[in-house]
Amino acid sequence: MWSRRRILQLLITRDLKVKYAGSVLGYFWSVLEPLMLAGIYWVVFTKLMRRQVGEEPYIVFLLAAMLPWQWANASLRASMRALSKDAKLVRSTSLPREIWVLRTVGSRMMEFLFSLPVLAAFAIATGAHLTWYAIFFPLAMVLQMLLLLGLGLLLAPVAVLYSDVERLITVLLRLLFYFSPILYGVHDISNRLGSTIAKLYILNPFAGILDLYRTAFFAEEWAGWGAVAVSAAISLLLLAIGVRVFRRLEGAVLKEI
Amino acid sequence: MAPVIDAHELGIRFDRNRRRRRGGRRLKDALTGRTPPPTKNKSKDFWALRDITFSVDPGEAVGLVGANGQGKSTLLKLIAGVLLPDEGRVSVQGGVAPLIEVTGGFVGSLTARDNIWLTGGLHGLSKQEIEERFDEIVDFAEVGDFLDTPFRHFSSGMKVRLGFSVITTLDEPIVLVDEVLAVGDRAFREKCYGRMSELLSGGRTLFLVSHSEADLRRFCKRGLYLNEGRLVTDGPLDDALEQYNSDASKRRR
Repeated sequence: MWSRRRILQLLITRDLKVKYAGSVLGYFWSVLEPLMLAGIYWVVFTKLMRRQVGEEPYIVFLLAAMLPWQWANASLRASMRALSKDAKLVRSTSLPREIWVLRTVGSRMMEFLFSLPVLAAFAIATGAHLTWYAIFFPLAMVLQMLLLLGLGLLLAPVAVLYSDVERLITVLLRLLFYFSPILYGVHDISNRLGSTIAKLYILNPFAGILDLYRTAFFAEEWAGWGAVAVSAAISLLLLAIGVRVFRRLEGAVLKEI
Repeated sequence: MAPVIDAHELGIRFDRNRRRRRGGRRLKDALTGRTPPPTKNKSKDFWALRDITFSVDPGEAVGLVGANGQGKSTLLKLIAGVLLPDEGRVSVQGGVAPLIEVTGGFVGSLTARDNIWLTGGLHGLSKQEIEERFDEIVDFAEVGDFLDTPFRHFSSGMKVRLGFSVITTLDEPIVLVDEVLAVGDRAFREKCYGRMSELLSGGRTLFLVSHSEADLRRFCKRGLYLNEGRLVTDGPLDDALEQYNSDASKRRR
């Protein structure tokens, strides 16, 4: 796969070109969705209701998890079409087929990176303090990459073979949004629901990862390395499963697309 | 010399009842392990190809003959690695330049220029290599005036010309050609013949699917005849064509 990185780069560059074809406005559209969502939740939780979870500045608290979540959400949805959307390309080249999932997750990661200035801007505007935990930001990204690849390799072939999967996953992703520490933090779970629930809660691999991103600004509320370790273990496990499932179903998928 | 293509008891199976595209298997059936109720067809699976064993030496030109639906294109796809066998194996030394679906991997919404870059890149050409060959590709395909036109607006002849031009510019040692020659006009066909002769004399291996005996005879000495997913004849092209013609006339009766 390493020898094909040039091809991967080509595909990702093309994706971004298509996405940002309208330059400035193209960029605006790609950050609009997380920004709008964060804005809505910020209004609801700070203006309409009395916020009881999360930290001040809440908009930074939200965005620090919302932007990575956007990467995850977009990647997983797109993974389900990674093989069928460009079926013609997939059918006419004998590249290792994993590349189509890698490309999907990779180009969403680039969009995530491009959206980080928005987070920085809000952090500066609200006077949020950057802690030294920010050095773990890349680690969180690596873990998320592994997790998304595992899930993507699993979903891509299954979604081609079973047509209901796409709808099912779309619903599950919405649920996962509320079950992940985005509107609230992991420490809110242990504070309010107790440590037993919290232990179960961190089995969601996104919990440890999103929490780790947030330590860049909110180190005091961090749940600690335990959740990160669980995330890493589950991510690697899912990656191993994803690689195997992909290999197994590859032949059937190629007949189908 | 070691063969460049080596197929051993190759077989691939398709599901007869499977609706193509969007249809999909029901998730419920998969979860409950229940198989969907059988339709009128007796067997659910059919073998599009089975027990295919042959090998091809470097520089050979092989013609593949057989009626429609007997597995010719499927065999090419297995060699190209864009389908995976259910049985047996096929090993290929070096890369394959596949002219299988006439318009190959071209994307309709991209311009001809972008498509040349994309396809060249996907088949492993470096930036510099594409740059060097770009003009040659465009000249050969005669699409110089339409470089910035989206590919989907191309006429079918132009699409084929561009496809043929890009794929035959690749350095791959094996070239697979599926019915491409049938589409171009006469002048372009002559050009294609020229290009293919060049490739052959340059030591490439050619695998040609065609219904035109003239085309086959022009390039191939060896013929493979496929019938009902089996390799019936593997020998001199004349033998393969003879067998094919006699089977065809039997069927007509």
